Amino acid sequence: MEKLYKFLKYTFIILWTVFIVAPFLWAVSTSFKDFQSVNSKVTYIPWLDFEPTLEGWRVLVKSPARGGVDIVEPYFNSIFVTCTASLISIILGTLAAYALSRFTFKAGFVRNNDITFFFISQRIMPPIVLSIPFFIFLSTIGLLDSLLGLVVVYIVLLMPIAVWIMVDFFNRVPKELDETALIDGCNPYQAFYKVVLPNSIPGLIVAGMFCIIFGWIDFFFAFILTFTEVQLLPVKVVALNSSITPWWSLSASALISVAPLIIVAFVVERYLSKGNLSGALK
Amino acid sequence: MAKIELSNISHSYNPNDLNPTYALNPFSMIWENGKRYAILGPSGCGKTTMLNIVSGLVKPSKGNVLFDDNDVTNLITEERNIAQVFQFPVIYSTMTVFDNLAFPLRCRNFSEEKIEERVKSVSDTLRLSTFLNMPARKLTADQKQLISLGRGLVREDVAAVLMDEPLTVIDPDLKFRLRRNLKEINEEYKTTLVYVTHDQNEAMTFADNIIVMDQGEIVQVGLPKDLFERPKTTFVGYFIGSPAMNLFETQLHSDNSVKINDTTIKTNTNLSKLKNNNIKLGIRSEFVKVAKDESENLLEVNIQKIEDFGNFKLLTAKMGQLTIKSKINRETEISNNTIKLHFPAEKCCVYQNNKLI
Repeated sequence: MEKLYKFLKYTFIILWTVFIVAPFLWAVSTSFKDFQSVNSKVTYIPWLDFEPTLEGWRVLVKSPARGGVDIVEPYFNSIFVTCTASLISIILGTLAAYALSRFTFKAGFVRNNDITFFFISQRIMPPIVLSIPFFIFLSTIGLLDSLLGLVVVYIVLLMPIAVWIMVDFFNRVPKELDETALIDGCNPYQAFYKVVLPNSIPGLIVAGMFCIIFGWIDFFFAFILTFTEVQLLPVKVVALNSSITPWWSLSASALISVAPLIIVAFVVERYLSKGNLSGALK
Repeated sequence: MAKIELSNISHSYNPNDLNPTYALNPFSMIWENGKRYAILGPSGCGKTTMLNIVSGLVKPSKGNVLFDDNDVTNLITEERNIAQVFQFPVIYSTMTVFDNLAFPLRCRNFSEEKIEERVKSVSDTLRLSTFLNMPARKLTADQKQLISLGRGLVREDVAAVLMDEPLTVIDPDLKFRLRRNLKEINEEYKTTLVYVTHDQNEAMTFADNIIVMDQGEIVQVGLPKDLFERPKTTFVGYFIGSPAMNLFETQLHSDNSVKINDTTIKTNTNLSKLKNNNIKLGIRSEFVKVAKDESENLLEVNIQKIEDFGNFKLLTAKMGQLTIKSKINRETEISNNTIKLHFPAEKCCVYQNNKLI
């Protein structure tokens, strides 16, 4: 029975791993193929089934003038917009969340929970609802088709996530921790950044990770709010497609698009598994 | 170190409601410098609220808090220089044990030498010296509580150290030693210690003065002996002592005696001015003895059970509907099922409307 359980367990794990990894392997292999190897017959193994070529990758860095698509600039645009918007969202969101967790707000019938819900409700709405207001807003202030405009919009999109995660996190940090810091001689601001914030690093990392993921993968607003001056990576990748689908360069661009998220995931996983999250306070 | 005065303090958590409910009813109290106080009472009676008012975490709805005759009611916690230890260990989990203990001093800009010296002294007292360089979060729950306690003791000049059931998570052996340590610290540094607990033994062994609270009221303040022998209300009699005080419904009989069923019990209390309603007689089971040659204050009872607690026996007896408990020596042998119990007149307390006469 024990053996059967182990056997089933490992079979399941292996199948699941294959299910997850196979698309990546497929993309890696495809990115080194040319038109012939993709379209003529089924090929798997480089050098045996097909002759690998770097053409799919080269296209991505060549300038359009020389027949390439140049995703380098959109790539760095995406990094800049995602990181800036995430950072600002985390800073503002953490402050808002701390206030919502520790102080009581009253405005008519509105209480703390209503304010928190108001933040989350920004994400409940279908993005399409926001597209026209955002478009008009950015064109009014002259930030349409600019990195700054995208940062502003992404802050609006990402901050609810930060607030939502951090409110929950701060609610689980006992109030006694702040009170102890006050008794030990901190003023309320010192209590926040000397004591509560260092204890909340796991929460900050989780919130940061979500912000980065949601910022990085957004296609919709990047597509609607930019035209020619500025382009973000997801838009550029989609623009690669043409009448003949270039599977090789699409695969290559998919791989380098997903690379930063894989790196983030590994770093975060390392940090979270150190046990900083558990039993830290009681 | 300071004399702490609470003047006409009362507190409500919903002061703006039409009918505010009070967690603390108006009271005044003075905590003398360098003494040990225990606040004793059941859960939810306002003990923690009182501590939080002193430390400034809660601002009282009414009344003033004075440290050495200076009004500190409107000062925030940071400016009051007070130490408070909570029921559950609160540690700064990202810091080492040393940094935890040093934190209150660093916040107040003490020199590093002074910090080193104080942390060493406190960690020696609390036996934390070997852990100083460890991350605080790696310690066990009771060691973490020692850190909380240490942070309270590391400042020499605090007005008072307030402790809110601090030894709940600590195992009994260490608890005993820590209580003794706290007493020593109090005697050595003359720090005012205020200790909240619902454990009467803890309160009795620790404090010079005990404050008994119930439902937001201060019921009695006094020495452990007074609380035990002359409880001011039936609540105190019931709450303090194990088993609780024997309490009987009685009728007045004469100027100094009452009747239980048909038996007359003399007391040392002048009862001449009382009306004959809601009178109770209370006596500790410690003072109820098996009668030898006494001629009065005797009750004839039927024994229900005798439990052996090792150092004493607890006798439970019935007289009609009344249950009487008596602590007797282990050596006392009881052969009959019906015996006479003696109530010494000087130990009998008479209550009207649950208040001591």
